[in-house]
Amino acid sequence: MVSHEEIQHVAKLMKIELDDPTIYERVDKMISYFDILDSAGVESEEMSFTEIPLSELREDKYIPFNEKLIEKLNYYKGTYVRAPKMI
Amino acid sequence: MNLKISALEFTRQVKSGNLSAEDFIAKTMERIQNIDGNLHAFLSLNDKAVDQARDIDKKIKSGEKVGECFGMPISIKDNICIKDTKTTCASKMLENFIAPYDATVITKLKQQDAIFVGKVNLDEFAMGLSTEFSAYGPSKNPWNTDYVPGGSSGGSAVSVSAFECVTSLGSDTGGSVRNPASFCSTVGYKPTYGLISRYGLISYANSIEQIGPLTRTVEDAAFMLNLITGLDPNDNTTVNNRDEDYLKDINSGIEGKKIGIIKEMIGEGIDPSVLSATKNAISKLEGLGATCEEISLDMVKYSVAAYYTITATEAGSNLARYDNLRYGYDFSVEGFEFNSYIKKARKKLGPEVTRRMILGGFVPSAGHAGKYFLKALKVKNKLTREINDVFKKFDLLISPTVPVLPFKIGEKINDPVALFLIDINTVTANLTGKPAISIPYAISNGLPIGIQLIANSMDDKLLLQAAYALEKTVVLPEVPI
Repeated sequence: MVSHEEIQHVAKLMKIELDDPTIYERVDKMISYFDILDSAGVESEEMSFTEIPLSELREDKYIPFNEKLIEKLNYYKGTYVRAPKMI
Repeated sequence: MNLKISALEFTRQVKSGNLSAEDFIAKTMERIQNIDGNLHAFLSLNDKAVDQARDIDKKIKSGEKVGECFGMPISIKDNICIKDTKTTCASKMLENFIAPYDATVITKLKQQDAIFVGKVNLDEFAMGLSTEFSAYGPSKNPWNTDYVPGGSSGGSAVSVSAFECVTSLGSDTGGSVRNPASFCSTVGYKPTYGLISRYGLISYANSIEQIGPLTRTVEDAAFMLNLITGLDPNDNTTVNNRDEDYLKDINSGIEGKKIGIIKEMIGEGIDPSVLSATKNAISKLEGLGATCEEISLDMVKYSVAAYYTITATEAGSNLARYDNLRYGYDFSVEGFEFNSYIKKARKKLGPEVTRRMILGGFVPSAGHAGKYFLKALKVKNKLTREINDVFKKFDLLISPTVPVLPFKIGEKINDPVALFLIDINTVTANLTGKPAISIPYAISNGLPIGIQLIANSMDDKLLLQAAYALEKTVVLPEVPI
């Protein structure tokens, strides 16, 4: 069971507005279903990860992109992008 | 003109001069105009498609080198970027997003002279299995338009099934290629994790999702893999398949192969007609010389919970970029406080995406991660070990692709757990990185049933050979549209 307060707290952290009253019930149903994981008996299971050697990663170098893209920005002013005013 | 031909047949006919790419594309666009108002597979169309086809015909006539697709019409799921084209992810949040670059699969297909006829529908950000969660309305199953086509690559499956294109690309995070393929009676292929580059696929759950083709035939799926697989420096998870030719020896048969029947995927909740079709497919495979034996994957019963926990967590992280500062839509910031602006902007995300973001914030959070996210990762680990052990004794695994028949639009939309459980047979391949295919196998009460085969990692070629053998045992009616 997940409380409304817990859902509201997560929503606040994730910057999501909760205006759908059904969301509490649906999220609770989903999370309650995940409780099945408690009976999986995997407590002693070790975690394993895929390792990729650095030598197999692509070279870490700057590749110029299409510079004209910036001109498509709404607030592009020729030599700068105007930042919005926020309170 | 016959639009109901396979990709290989199309390329053979255009190459030999018996078919003009321009005529075929023009007829295809005409068919889309005529029937897609009812089916709603497409979100946008390429209005230059016929001109592009004309150019290919000219190249053929003048003896210029032409790519292996010869102007083949392909639809693309709208979460794969095509440069200078709208890529909406079926979300209002990206309603006017123009992709600034091509996905690697698109680059490869362009090099082979494919023609993208349009972008097709999906559940918003690929979160769903019926396309009912598309912000632009659901697609409809061409076998019966009261029913869902499956998802999330529903538009891809509809467009192939209804002959609105020859083949399509979708993406498969928990069955999103195989599920709609099963519901619409097309072939759907989820490759080994890493076989196809994800560069340019808008991320949902990176650790398990893959791009995959939806086609009319198994041979076409092999043909598509030949074109789009391989290492990509832009995606470090890609694997080297050493330019494997998936079409070569596709008719090798399956004599002597050992096939495991996954007990947990044919048990409780399965539709009787789906079970009957699965048993029939098993008999056919035995008739072709394979040995079939029941096996158990104990972790399958936890796989759906693990899958949704992991994908919600990754989605919570991936979708954080839709804050209207980095990605979003035209919405003035003037006068807003920072947090309230982002909250307001995110109201364009649909209800299912919002729910999954909340889940994605909750399950890995302090105090809950041990109960949900870490356990889900451990289930994933154990399931992978179990399936790897099975593959020491078996060559392939079999199950129905989906345990139920396609359902009516709106029938399950308010029951999230019922929707979750439809994924039970498909998520295992994603969680373990194995290749899997859905093969159209039967029609029950006018609705399609697909059979799923799974192989070990990098055994994609063997998987296609087995699927080809099974496909050749069935003759199915044509889609009634």
